[in-house]
Amino acid sequence: MSLMLGPFEDGELEPNEMQEVAFHLARCDSCTKALGAYSALGRELRTLTPAPQLAGFSATVIARIDKLPQPIWNRVARFFGRGSDFVGSGFAWSSAVAAVAVVTAVLITPYAEEFASRRLPYASSTLARVEHTATALPEKLAQNATGEAARLAAERDAEAVASSDSHAVISRLESDIPSVAVWSEPRTDTTVIWLPDQP
Amino acid sequence: MTLRPGSLVILITAICACTAPTTSIAEGGPKQVTVYVDSVLAADTNEGMDRRLEPLGKKLHGLFSFTTYSLLHHDAGQTECGKMIAFVLPGGKILHIQPRAIDGDMIAMEIVMFDGTRPMMTTDLKLKNNGTLIVGGPRYEQGMLIITIGASTGAPHDAAAPDAGTPTEAIAH
Repeated sequence: MSLMLGPFEDGELEPNEMQEVAFHLARCDSCTKALGAYSALGRELRTLTPAPQLAGFSATVIARIDKLPQPIWNRVARFFGRGSDFVGSGFAWSSAVAAVAVVTAVLITPYAEEFASRRLPYASSTLARVEHTATALPEKLAQNATGEAARLAAERDAEAVASSDSHAVISRLESDIPSVAVWSEPRTDTTVIWLPDQP
Repeated sequence: MTLRPGSLVILITAICACTAPTTSIAEGGPKQVTVYVDSVLAADTNEGMDRRLEPLGKKLHGLFSFTTYSLLHHDAGQTECGKMIAFVLPGGKILHIQPRAIDGDMIAMEIVMFDGTRPMMTTDLKLKNNGTLIVGGPRYEQGMLIITIGASTGAPHDAAAPDAGTPTEAIAH
């Protein structure tokens, strides 16, 4: 039982053991005295140990933590946290303005695209692909029908051609006529699809 | 009453969210498209330019070197995106034009040209509003058939008879 007095004093026993020791102490004076001696010894030891100097301890620990490598999201969060502390409600207002700007941009985007397409009506035609080489055009075509001429495949599902200044952007052209030609005349902004009769 | 910034953001977002569908509904009505089709006979008979084709004269002269251009037939029709409109052309040709969408200043459409019942050509294209596409090549009488196809959004520019010569102005930009 004497071996259990120390842990009993420190509250380290199991509940049933604590209860057992407590019942024993109620009937055993020697163990009660021994327990009193343990308690006194503990108190004496605590009084003999000098209290550590804690001045500046917190600042030192924080400084050491700051020197540790931090994940980027922690640094960003800390930055904005400091910013909000410093700026106060100004940061919140800035966020509100930014949110309004984003929503406005989303809402006006279709109109902006429409405006841009009006200003740059030919921009999309630059995306046209030229997949086939030019061939001789019908001899009756004017000489100034520029070198934008491009031949379209006679086979089905051929991709069509549009010149860079055309009023038309052709994305698909199918014909069973083998010598279909497409060209644009930049000066008149006209696209021509030529379907000569087969001989 | 004071309004916190967070509440302000939510309020503005809610207003914008309520406004956006209204805007798209207002724009979402049927898109009317007017299609103009001129059938021109081009030949080398030294008869000059048809008076009714004068608005197109510069364009035709810039593209071809025929000496005779004669307007055979003018037609115009109004349709809307998704609805096909048909035109009967000289020489037994038939033109089906179906506007698909209006993208800014461009009108997306599908054009199918039939020779009788045989489809000669099928094309998907975007034509500039009030722009012109020329389809030519088939022989007709003593020359060649040139079809000018124009399209514009909204109502027809001019419903006058082709003899007046004005409808071609709509596609002569």
